[in-house]
Amino acid sequence: MKIAVNDVERLIEFEPDTPLLWVIRDELKLKGTKFGCGKGLCGACTVHLNGTPIRSCITPVSAVEGQNITTIEGIGSEESPHPLQDSWVELNVPQCGYCQSGQLMSASALIADNPKPTDADIDNAMSGNACRCGTYPRIKAAIHHAADNINKG
Amino acid sequence: MTNQTSKINVSRRQFLKASATATGGFSLGVFLPGCATFGDSGVSEDHTWTANAWLEITDTSKVIFTLDRIEMGQGTTTGLTTLLAEELDVEPRTILVKYAPVANVYRNPDYGLQMTGGSNSLSSSWVQIREAGASAREMLVAAAAEVYNVPLDQCQAKNGKVILRDGDKQLSYGELALLAASQSVPAKPKLKPASEFRFIGKQNKRLDISGKVNGSTAYGIDTEIEGMAYAVVSRCPVLGGKVKQFDASQALQAKGVIGVFEIYNGIAIVAEQYWQARKAQNMLEIEWDEGALATLSSDDMFNTFKQAAIDDEGKQVREEGDFNDAIDTASRVIEVEYQTPFLAHATLEPMNCVVEVSEEKAQVWAPTQAPDLARIAVARVTDLSPSDVDVHVTAIGGGFGRRLTQDFIEEAAAVAYQAKRPIKLMWSREEDTQHDWYRPATYHKFKATLNEASEVTGWDHQIVAPNLLDWYVRDAAPAQYPWSPKFMYGMLGSIGLAMQGIAVPKDETAIEGAVTVPYSIPNLQVRHTHADIGVPVSFWRSVGHSQNAFYVESFIDELAHETSADPYQFRRSLLQDHPHHLNVLELVAEKAGWNTPLPKGLFRGIAVHKSFKSYAAQVVELSVNNGAIKVHRVVCAIDCGTVVNPDIVKAQMEGGIIFALTAALHGEISVKNGRVEQSNFDDYALLRMNETPVIEVHIVDSDESPTGVGEPGVPPLAPALANALFAATGKRLRSLPLRLVS
Repeated sequence: MKIAVNDVERLIEFEPDTPLLWVIRDELKLKGTKFGCGKGLCGACTVHLNGTPIRSCITPVSAVEGQNITTIEGIGSEESPHPLQDSWVELNVPQCGYCQSGQLMSASALIADNPKPTDADIDNAMSGNACRCGTYPRIKAAIHHAADNINKG
Repeated sequence: MTNQTSKINVSRRQFLKASATATGGFSLGVFLPGCATFGDSGVSEDHTWTANAWLEITDTSKVIFTLDRIEMGQGTTTGLTTLLAEELDVEPRTILVKYAPVANVYRNPDYGLQMTGGSNSLSSSWVQIREAGASAREMLVAAAAEVYNVPLDQCQAKNGKVILRDGDKQLSYGELALLAASQSVPAKPKLKPASEFRFIGKQNKRLDISGKVNGSTAYGIDTEIEGMAYAVVSRCPVLGGKVKQFDASQALQAKGVIGVFEIYNGIAIVAEQYWQARKAQNMLEIEWDEGALATLSSDDMFNTFKQAAIDDEGKQVREEGDFNDAIDTASRVIEVEYQTPFLAHATLEPMNCVVEVSEEKAQVWAPTQAPDLARIAVARVTDLSPSDVDVHVTAIGGGFGRRLTQDFIEEAAAVAYQAKRPIKLMWSREEDTQHDWYRPATYHKFKATLNEASEVTGWDHQIVAPNLLDWYVRDAAPAQYPWSPKFMYGMLGSIGLAMQGIAVPKDETAIEGAVTVPYSIPNLQVRHTHADIGVPVSFWRSVGHSQNAFYVESFIDELAHETSADPYQFRRSLLQDHPHHLNVLELVAEKAGWNTPLPKGLFRGIAVHKSFKSYAAQVVELSVNNGAIKVHRVVCAIDCGTVVNPDIVKAQMEGGIIFALTAALHGEISVKNGRVEQSNFDDYALLRMNETPVIEVHIVDSDESPTGVGEPGVPPLAPALANALFAATGKRLRSLPLRLVS
């Protein structure tokens, strides 16, 4: 079957019930998307399906056939980072860093939809993403920081 | 490294003695036992001066730092690199960092093991790593003085160069490296005075972030090696149970399955893909020998603890005055009991390990806090010796003490040994929750006496808890003697650990933070009744302090209320002999506005606790609505000595507070029929962003040596929260998690 990941069309052969997460990680070798719970409870595996955040650990690969997937590797690069990635660096957000790909994927979908989110908007969009190190205050501040930067142009 | 010399027990002096080698370029070798894993980062080069075990400088002026404390988010990469950068006088961000292989020189001096834990990475490296940098700096300066033919004091190291004081001549460290190598190694390099620090206390950027925001940081779970297959293990649902018999015929037919293997604690499936292994796992039929814990429940366990408290008054671990006298003369006696449950670590990166075993050696890639123990774990289940095992440490997706235990590495090695193929073992979240080595459940009893003037005259604290080292020595003791024959591992484990010259160290894990109760009470005793139910237990962020602070700081709050005193003033009056405690307590009270009334519906609690040589005090503000607890604000004061990176200290306090809130509000691992009842983040919940309060951190200005930061933010939170709940409801909750409605 075919899926498009980070704007590259990929031909893959996997059993259809295999969660998208393992195709992304083990077949496409995009290791930035993480395994945390396998039940859609922690958000470490968050990717975008046609721009909408989904939990790849509970999404069978067959369900995304022919569609566009974006992973952490697709939202910015070292040369041209996403404004959220800049803010994450600026505010020293990560500790262990394991959940941060998922956090950034949820946050990037949020600010694409809502360029000036309130605290409550951020809580709503981000409370499905767990962080065991406790970086939530910084994630929230960094989303505001990035939104301000984007709005300043 | 072109000159690898395997030697065990090489002294630090020998390490620091740079010795020229005859091989390519001007590579200068030192004895680096086990340095076969050197160069993994791809940054080691032939044209490199290896100044000492931690520092290499290339002829292109690259500075390469070998980090011997693992990075699990607590900030060792940034903190320790900053120490080196300060003395070497280079920008911290220009230093390339690689993880250390296993070698004696990299042992944590406080433990005699190559271990990261106990919040002492900075304190144990504070002099060592600065000396590593200063030693190289002095050799570079000496080299420049030789080139310019001037006295040493005419040359100054600055920003990666040695500059001639009079004139504009300068040489880069790269240009000087060859000549620096031939200088004598300073016996005692001179460290910068604090007044000259450029980075310590000022460096506020983390150095490990870019890969953590673009997905490129490689954690253990991201390891892939040639020919690797995937493994999962079915373990007995009853803790400690074993396989009786199994039928793998169906599983073996499943697509992608390479083999099914019985290992010491379960049945492993090895498949081409991870998901294939998981699907085949469901097809296994296993009959278990459930073992000794088959009927254990949490309720029975606490009853056992209560009985133990009656049957065994325990070992006196502190005694001042005479508590019996206090009882005889008391006008009131207050007697209460407290308890806390097991807790899982729940690192977001589940346990995993990649292992390749051949006849001669094993290679391990693992997120571990103790790579020298990992070698023991591998040796135990293969034909190999620890010295045949190379451990490649990876970035770690959360440690919190979980990865001090090497069970997942032992499993992976056992599977790879039989499968005769490199494998990546991965645990599911359910397996991670149900087969952890837990923060122990404990039960405590207090008795306090008051005189007619309502002064506290006596304090009796009985702790019923296991000793963590009883469990930990299994791998840790052999790791101290890696050359010992394997048949001796069991015996070494029973002897215990050698620490700082003491053959059997005192195990403080059950009593720490309780035995050191700081309040001035004339008749005081602390007792430990040893009770171990057989559930595997281990270190959990802040260890004994994580629960003992809850007990002590809740009970002292009870006594404040019993004597109709303000809880803050009450603590102050009993802490006059403890200026550090007093200082953080007063600071947090001031910053939280303790003496200012709160808006209606908001309530406060306070607590102070010393752990890992640091002092932390917190004030929690909360509201209660229909039994639901909402924490609005936490104010924290921390005294951790000299601060190397203020923003990391702040981040560790924030993280510690959120970690502790998770435990205080949600955390419970319960056991029924020997099985852990929780399994994933739906029934073992982590605090989420929408539950997270505003957190304010105030750092005490100090010029004392650095002390712990990773753990000390945890202990005061639960009691401050419980004390605020008492203020809000009049209910004293004496067990965790804090629940107003069941």
